[in-house]
Amino acid sequence: MMGSRATSAVLSRAARMRQKLLSSLEASALDTEDVSYQHAGHTAVKENTNETHFNIRVISPKFEGQSLVKRHRMVYDLLTDELNSGLHAISIVAKTSKESGS
Amino acid sequence: MAAAASASAAAISTLPGASFPLHISARPQPARVSALPRTRASPPTWRLSVGSPRARSVRCLAAGGGGGLAPEMRATLDKVVGSHKVVLFMKGTKDFPQCGFSHTVVQILRSLDVPFETLDVLANEALRQGLKEYSSWPTFPQLYIDGEFFGGCDITVEAYKSGELQETLEKAMCS
Repeated sequence: MMGSRATSAVLSRAARMRQKLLSSLEASALDTEDVSYQHAGHTAVKENTNETHFNIRVISPKFEGQSLVKRHRMVYDLLTDELNSGLHAISIVAKTSKESGS
Repeated sequence: MAAAASASAAAISTLPGASFPLHISARPQPARVSALPRTRASPPTWRLSVGSPRARSVRCLAAGGGGGLAPEMRATLDKVVGSHKVVLFMKGTKDFPQCGFSHTVVQILRSLDVPFETLDVLANEALRQGLKEYSSWPTFPQLYIDGEFFGGCDITVEAYKSGELQETLEKAMCS
């Protein structure tokens, strides 16, 4: 067993997000970039300026045949817990491997 | 000065069937938003009453939490997104966006010369929370075209670059 439950408390948000996206979307590529520094001082992130804004680029076979709105919703749904615990915004690029040209 | 106040006082209307008063200024809408002189600060075209007791009760309804979207809120949002071809729920106003993503979408819509309405979700917490559920979308801005959720900032930017946004807007304007 991986004991992921025990370790999740100490994982960074970025690591948790990667775990969730990689396993649920069977992503063949995943980049997460913490861009919170660009939004420091933003009205909504007064108290915690850490790990609030991310750029995410994910390539998944599960996006096949899905509209962009649906793809983004899939990502948002996986990150509900994070969004409810201080993650403020994510910028998403969601492609299939065919579309990404790789 | 009192321009915004008097405009809304003179022209407040309540959407039929809406569970709380949603004040819409009846200021004649210019056909081309971007043709407005830059210096003229247009008052927010949508006004959500925050002071009335009825508005307060809606906030309580929405604060019920977790139990799904209140039917009254759903009905109101149906009316709002259906009452204009293009509706943008954003942080801040057209003239003073309070968030970079909202600002981006306003700029895109302006560059395309389409008339659009905006609602400031920062001015109404019930609206903000209700919309997240209504749209199944956790962040803002949220763009609606022809009553349909079109997307957030990323999708709007991508669709703008691909020309899909222009196409969708053209279709909406002709319908």
